[in-house]
Amino acid sequence: MFRNYLKIAWRNLHRSKAYALINITGLSAGMAVAMLIGLWIWDEVSYNKYHQHYDRIVQIMRQATFQGVTGTGQAVPIPLADYLRTHYGSDFKSVVTSSWTLENIIAAGDNKLTSTGIYMEPQAPEMLSLQMLEGSRKTALQDVNTILLSASLARSLFGGQPATGKIVKLNNKTDVRVSGVYADIPHNSSFSDLAFIAPFSQYLATSGDWAKHAVTDWNEYSFQMFAELNPQVDAQKVSGKIQSVIKDNSADESNPMLLLHPMRKWKLYSEFQNGINTGGDIRFVWLFGLIGVFVLLLGCINFMNLSTARAARRAREVGIRKAIGSAKEQLVGQFLSESLLVVAIGFCIALLLTMLFLPWFNNVADKQIALPWGSVSFWLLCAGFMLVTGVLAGSYPAFYLSAFQPVKVLKGTFRAGRFAAMPRKVLVIVQFAVSVILIIGTVIIFQQIQYTKHRAIGYSRDGLITIPMNTPDLFGHYDALQKDLQATGMVENMAESSSPTTQLFSRGGENMKWRGKREEEKILFGNIACTHDFGATIGWQILAGRDFSREYATDSSAMILNASAATVMGLKDPVGEKIQWGKHQYTVIGVVKDLLMESPFATAMPTVFRLNYDWANVITVKIKPGRDNRAALDKIAAVFKKYNPGSPFNYKFNDQEYGKKFMAEERIGKLAGCFAILAILISCLGIFGLASFTAEQRIKEIGVRKVLGATVLSIWALLSGDFLKLVFIAFLLAAPAAYYGMQHWLQQYEYRTPIHWWIFMATGGAALGITLTVVSYQAIKAAVINPVKSLRTE
Amino acid sequence: MIKTVNLQKLFTTEEVETTALNGINMEIQDGEFVAIMGPSGCGKSTLLNILGLLDNPSGGEYFFWDKEVARMSERQRAQLRKGSIGFVFQSFNLIDELTVFENVELPLLYLKVPSSERKQKVEAVLERMNIMHRRNHFPQQLSGGQQQRVAIARAVVAKPKMILADEPTGNLDSTNGEEVMKLLQELNDAGTTMVMVTHSPYDAGFAHRIINLFDGKVVTENIKEQFHV
Repeated sequence: MFRNYLKIAWRNLHRSKAYALINITGLSAGMAVAMLIGLWIWDEVSYNKYHQHYDRIVQIMRQATFQGVTGTGQAVPIPLADYLRTHYGSDFKSVVTSSWTLENIIAAGDNKLTSTGIYMEPQAPEMLSLQMLEGSRKTALQDVNTILLSASLARSLFGGQPATGKIVKLNNKTDVRVSGVYADIPHNSSFSDLAFIAPFSQYLATSGDWAKHAVTDWNEYSFQMFAELNPQVDAQKVSGKIQSVIKDNSADESNPMLLLHPMRKWKLYSEFQNGINTGGDIRFVWLFGLIGVFVLLLGCINFMNLSTARAARRAREVGIRKAIGSAKEQLVGQFLSESLLVVAIGFCIALLLTMLFLPWFNNVADKQIALPWGSVSFWLLCAGFMLVTGVLAGSYPAFYLSAFQPVKVLKGTFRAGRFAAMPRKVLVIVQFAVSVILIIGTVIIFQQIQYTKHRAIGYSRDGLITIPMNTPDLFGHYDALQKDLQATGMVENMAESSSPTTQLFSRGGENMKWRGKREEEKILFGNIACTHDFGATIGWQILAGRDFSREYATDSSAMILNASAATVMGLKDPVGEKIQWGKHQYTVIGVVKDLLMESPFATAMPTVFRLNYDWANVITVKIKPGRDNRAALDKIAAVFKKYNPGSPFNYKFNDQEYGKKFMAEERIGKLAGCFAILAILISCLGIFGLASFTAEQRIKEIGVRKVLGATVLSIWALLSGDFLKLVFIAFLLAAPAAYYGMQHWLQQYEYRTPIHWWIFMATGGAALGITLTVVSYQAIKAAVINPVKSLRTE
Repeated sequence: MIKTVNLQKLFTTEEVETTALNGINMEIQDGEFVAIMGPSGCGKSTLLNILGLLDNPSGGEYFFWDKEVARMSERQRAQLRKGSIGFVFQSFNLIDELTVFENVELPLLYLKVPSSERKQKVEAVLERMNIMHRRNHFPQQLSGGQQQRVAIARAVVAKPKMILADEPTGNLDSTNGEEVMKLLQELNDAGTTMVMVTHSPYDAGFAHRIINLFDGKVVTENIKEQFHV
């Protein structure tokens, strides 16, 4: 019987090729989108699962409260680790203190590379279950002067030769011995960018005096800490137990509280607002999941609409089968197997489309997803997916068609009831409403990006490059380096600072005192050390007072505030005010416009700038306007080679770094845009098919109207008008939903675009215009048929 | 075999109520050949649909093999219909997407007859109807007469007790019509009860008995020849 069903289904498809094409195209596009999104969601939810103890690994986070607002961060002090091991040893299998992930210069002989690495305590390889290709997990980080390399870094440094036992030089200063090689950590791990892991003790030994003090300083929040809990230990309970450890051991007045953030939440639940975990990327999982379901639904709706619109053609068959003895369930089965056949064909095409578009998708979504051809569960999921899609698309037509009364349909006088077209109309409205929502959403996302990109950033990014100072060779030559750079004729100015203009490395100042400050007031400031030329190099804008100047020897204790700092401190005329910070007293000499150093979507942090030539992490160079970048970089590189011969010249353009801050939004915008275009295409395909059936159904009516004097224009208006009405209703429903949704989405940004009415008008107009174009083809085709012919065919 | 008592059928639309059958009392014996005649709209096809269990009456009783079937659900009617009643329609009603063989095979599929037996039965009936050579053709590739022979083959392949024919020659020329009527008579001679709706007095001449309907009522019954059980 099933063979009989499939045979009929296949022959039906063969006979109505245009109908089959519309259905299969719509379904395969919808299924391809659903599969891509499915693969993306799978990748997101399986993030970090590479690590065997995934469900027991936690990061120890610290919360601090300033001005009644609780912030949550990863920075913790070193003594915490030993305290946890000693007092809570039964809860923790291991506690691992770690540096931040840093760019380092690593050299094997003359082969020098810039690589991202981290310094961690010896239990790290075990905790992260690194797959060792050489050496042992247990002992690899025991000796201070060792290093563990990733397989790809080992290959880059030593070709195919074994690396263990060989010596490499780190940051032009420390010779270390390779103690092992681990398989590259896959892309969907929080540690995927680690090209090496070195012992934390080495980091302390090579980082100067501050690091030595940090070993016992409970207030030095400059490190990360990870831990593996013992089996059956509840992270939340331990969180509760340890929360006040820092508070109990230090004089910190910011009410520091600890909490354990489980690895399974690192990727999707990474955001905290006022101390509460408020989610994070999980909202994209929901958003894209929803988009995937909707785009798939659009394809299914085409199938439903075209199947039921063609009901008249199948009605007689239903009547015959019922007369011969078919039960309704058998007919439902038949029509469902037909939809399954169409879905199966659509699935094969969708699989091809997915293969084809996966590289593009990976690029846009910043993923390295591959189709898991060899996985049984993948194929089982695919089978389930086909079944669900088949039932979703096929149920309504199956029940609709199988309900026909044989007595009525066998007479050949089948007439659908007056309301038979209603569900189809509702479904068309759903299709266009979804498409309109997606289009409005995409436009608003891009508007938000553009709006923010045009935001004043308080300095000039043009021609600014940043060079990290990660070798000792770059220190101590400030004046000579500046002179040589300027001598190239390519460089306008140069400065050093503790943070680049696109990031804020250090915060502090909660204990600063100034005139009028209330005792209980605790404000956290951005804290930047810089050289005299910083302001001139980046082109900051002075609102009051003056810039740092070599002419004033007293500027060693001068401070410049950004506008937000002056406001939050309540200083009406800040220039000349004295600020007490620990043992030092500073004088405010100027106020500058807020520099947008962190998120361009948020308000700038109150920030203070001080002169300090010893605390420098980056060099910022301003290329002269109008100079060719390539030529300028060649000359700048030559100067750096002179002072830093042991390292490759490593630079970043500030505007590119700034541009990266929009990557997440641009990614969502690009994906949503593509899905919106697909949605509208699928909807148009459906409406094209429906218009052709409507024209066919009303051919006699059109003939009669023409005989009675109707013009081609009036018939075109008659046929197109029906569809335009539906799209207009869809727009009326979609517009408020899109407004509400996007208003909600924009709430996450402090700096956000207003939602303009013209976006809605333009989208509505475009939807109506596209519909009119698609429907007109069929309408005009029907309207120009000779009525003699159309009346005869009836 | 069939007995109706005061059978009624009303069709109701929003504004009009039409009485299609108005108290039909009739009995048809096993093996009988009955023709139902009457002007257009007198209720012939409605009666045939009710007798064929495709539709339920609005009132009265209908006994099929002594079983009251007038209030049966669609599912029960389908169950009873399957294998016991064959249909022949004026417009043949073959499924265009299936070949001659597959069309004839269809009732056996619903009866879950095993494949080899199905093949044997279908081939036998196609031979009998003299259309074996067309077994792999689609309905549109056949003449009207051939299509109706396929329809008859489909109606008899499951060896039903009764065949209901709704103007079986209505769409055929006289030669093909004659051929079809002879086939129906042969089937009746072999023991199949035949109920046929027709406008043609000539076709009605093949029946043992003619029931004349007018405005939903039996007006006359002409017994052409005595039928003995």
